[in-house]
Amino acid sequence: MRNRRRIVAALSVLAALHLAILLAGFVAPYDPASQNRDFPFAPPTRIHFVNSHGHVHLLQPFIYEWRVRPDSFNEYEEDRDREYPVRFFRQGPEYKLAGLLRSHIHLFEVEGSAHIFLAGTDAYGRDQFSRILYGGQVSLAAGLLATGISLFFGLIVGCVSGFYGRWIDESAMRLVELFLVLPWLYFLLAVRSFLPLHISPTQTFFLLVAVIGTIGWARPARLIRGVVLSAKTRKYVIASRGFGASDSYILRRHVLPQTYGILLTQSALLVPQYVIAEVTLSFLGLGLSEPAPSWGNLLSNLQQYNVLVSYWWMFAPALALVIVSLGYLQLANAVHELQSG
Amino acid sequence: MENEATAPPAFVPPLVRAVGLNKRYVQRAPFSQKRFVIDALVDVGLEVAAASITALVGESGSGKSTLARSLAMLEKPDCGEIWFEGKQITQSSDKELALLRPRIQLVHQDSAGALNPRFTAAQIIAEPLEIQRRESGPRMRLRACELMEEVGLSASWADRRPLEFSGGQRQRLAIARAIALKPDFLILDESLSGLDLSTQAQILNLLLDLQSAYSLTYLLISHDLSLVGQVADFVAVMYRGKVVEAGTRKDIFANPRHAHTHELLGAVRLVESAFRTAQAGGRQ
Amino acid sequence: MNYLERRVIHGMLLLVGVSVLCFVFGSLAPGNFFDEMKLNPQISPATVAALRSQYGIDEPLPLRYGRWVKSVFRGEWGYSFAYNCPVKNLLLVRARNTLLLTTLATLLAWLIAVPLGVWTANRRGRWDDRLGLAGTSLLLSVPELVIALVLLYWVVRTHGLPVGGMVSVGFDGLGKEAKLIDIVSHLVVPAATLVLASLPLLVRHIRASVIEVLQAPFIHAARAHGIGGARVLFRYALPAAANPLSSLFGLSVGALLSGSLLVEVITGWPGLGPLLLEAAMARDIYVVVGAVMASTFFMIAGSILADILLVVVDPRIRLGSI
Repeated sequence: MRNRRRIVAALSVLAALHLAILLAGFVAPYDPASQNRDFPFAPPTRIHFVNSHGHVHLLQPFIYEWRVRPDSFNEYEEDRDREYPVRFFRQGPEYKLAGLLRSHIHLFEVEGSAHIFLAGTDAYGRDQFSRILYGGQVSLAAGLLATGISLFFGLIVGCVSGFYGRWIDESAMRLVELFLVLPWLYFLLAVRSFLPLHISPTQTFFLLVAVIGTIGWARPARLIRGVVLSAKTRKYVIASRGFGASDSYILRRHVLPQTYGILLTQSALLVPQYVIAEVTLSFLGLGLSEPAPSWGNLLSNLQQYNVLVSYWWMFAPALALVIVSLGYLQLANAVHELQSG
Repeated sequence: MENEATAPPAFVPPLVRAVGLNKRYVQRAPFSQKRFVIDALVDVGLEVAAASITALVGESGSGKSTLARSLAMLEKPDCGEIWFEGKQITQSSDKELALLRPRIQLVHQDSAGALNPRFTAAQIIAEPLEIQRRESGPRMRLRACELMEEVGLSASWADRRPLEFSGGQRQRLAIARAIALKPDFLILDESLSGLDLSTQAQILNLLLDLQSAYSLTYLLISHDLSLVGQVADFVAVMYRGKVVEAGTRKDIFANPRHAHTHELLGAVRLVESAFRTAQAGGRQ
Repeated sequence: MNYLERRVIHGMLLLVGVSVLCFVFGSLAPGNFFDEMKLNPQISPATVAALRSQYGIDEPLPLRYGRWVKSVFRGEWGYSFAYNCPVKNLLLVRARNTLLLTTLATLLAWLIAVPLGVWTANRRGRWDDRLGLAGTSLLLSVPELVIALVLLYWVVRTHGLPVGGMVSVGFDGLGKEAKLIDIVSHLVVPAATLVLASLPLLVRHIRASVIEVLQAPFIHAARAHGIGGARVLFRYALPAAANPLSSLFGLSVGALLSGSLLVEVITGWPGLGPLLLEAAMARDIYVVVGAVMASTFFMIAGSILADILLVVVDPRIRLGSI
């Protein structure tokens, strides 16, 4: 079935990306904060498979170090004097894998004093590839956590509102309407503005998550309420009451299982939206700020004219963002079709 | 206006007794100011003798299901009283009602709707046990399988979903679930409608067997007098929210007094004569 | 008309609710505009204290809200600390600019989306429909932020259009025609971004609605009568799909408004977006509230517009048989 293939494809791409980002320490060759002042705005290192003697070594790629062109001050050329083979699974700078385990081993690197900048560098010579991976941790985590918050509140409000009805339902739905009519980005900015500007990155992160999560609970709440309403009137629920079932039993055994479908599709839809929300906030300077990397503040470099014009590799976080969006969207479509099929 | 059943001797009180029940539904059409008033029950009285089968017949919309739900304590009537075993239950607190619930059970009309399609047969039958915490774990499943066998279903089907069963088998499931708590009073609301004749006969036989096994009292609700008339001891006729006639089966069939009863009986006779004609025609 | 009046009142109540929500969130915040000011060594603490009492920052929330409401009725909509003027002055100009950009983008988007949607609906399942679906999926996954940046990059590299702002330097000295051209040339990038960002969903919804309509018997009858392809599509099918489409139109206006914030900031278009951002950074609370209310007002107006359109476009509703 074409649908299943799509789900598998989307899931594998997403899983690979999430895994790489989770294991950023391992996949990234460098620490995201380490600067290389000799290489500001260096373009991505080219990987070669054919050496100067004309031999093709597919399994032994190598690079040339960048060197500033003698006749300019910001253009680079490859230093063909020495080849640096790309090596895998070697020791490098220490890091904490997913924040827990300490390790030295990196997926790939080049020996000695050479550098491999798969996605170029920024003004401080920091490796963008590493920064994208670490930044992904922030952006993805924000998206996932905020989705959890939204769905959690949406579930509670939807269930209580739909199940107990009357004035609880009326007031809850008025509130939902209110939140749905607000243009979300405006509201996001407004709420963010009301909160302290200069706080530590960790605090900023959780603040962001909380703010983004409180924006989007309304639509899931309404959808879940719909499901609960129709489940509530089912004959088998009435039959359960006839056996003396309590409200919590009915909610747990009969109503809640009906909401799983919606929760699944909504999460596939909300995660990319929230990742984009975090990226947008950080881009505008209201989210995570330097030096902590996030796809948003990585992209905000492009707001400078010279960066936008000359350094195309700074668009790389955008590519990551698009892949995440695409993956989750395909997933959401496929899951939706699966359910209504 | 009540016609009380005459058969039970004065010193055995009826198991269930309803007096002066009234229930009105008010519906407002969406986006309009018009309201629809439906008087589902108008001053309804009924007596059900213990260990008997009482049939409640009437056309659709006569209030039979509303009465059933009121008796099963699933809905509160606007006014009137319901007595169970000589005790008033209309004013009972939720706690007292909770104790009573296992003893009065309702089997719904729509078997597909009354069974959660995501549950397995065993889970469905075991649900009342689970709610009332009568059994737990493997004992519960064992009991569910026992009940399945009792209603004529193979226990090997315990893990199938309701939609994998036929209509008649689903009714058996619903009945198994209803007797799980060993009730005294069982209300069957149109449980035989929509089944073919032979399945109806089988279910009726099952009900009779269960009655003698568990000394149950039945209230059989149907629009089909010919069907329930075969097994009922007493018959009550409802028309437009009122009980228009009630008595023993013999009385009703022999001397129907109300016009509507005549109609229902007329339908019976029509069916009977059609049946006889078909039989006669078949032989020729 | 009764229904319309009710919708308008409902909308006004929503706006009131939004303003309360904003104020409530504002009160949750520690710190305010004047805290930032305190950090500025050029302003004496006495001045800060005087300003604080003048603006009643330390008063309890209901009191501040009441003051703000009174200010609204006076036509001021609160006071901007940063600009030192009533918020209304700022709002009017910026709102006009945002409205200009957004209405243009909406019209353009629909002008492109309707033919596309109708065409792909007609060619359902064939290769050009599949291509369209894949294309819209891809475009849908590209966040507005990225679209804006890419367009900006392209424009800058080709040196074709001016980048940033609404008017060029020396605008005032231009003739009327030249002024118009100048504004339009500045509109291109932001409008294009908004159009590209909203196209995929629009095309999909239009396609879905038209597909449904195309299943109707009267379409088959029209075709059987020999009425040609395009005529059937646009004179018969499209009007029948007008009901869900007009609701979609109203909603898309609102959605575009939410999206325009980012585009305005990135391209420098002087609308409500940059105003809000600035005020957010500076904790200029009444400007923030004003900007949020303005954009919410546009959202609500959009959905009421959708309802009006529905009545105008669908004769069944007018004649009351629905």
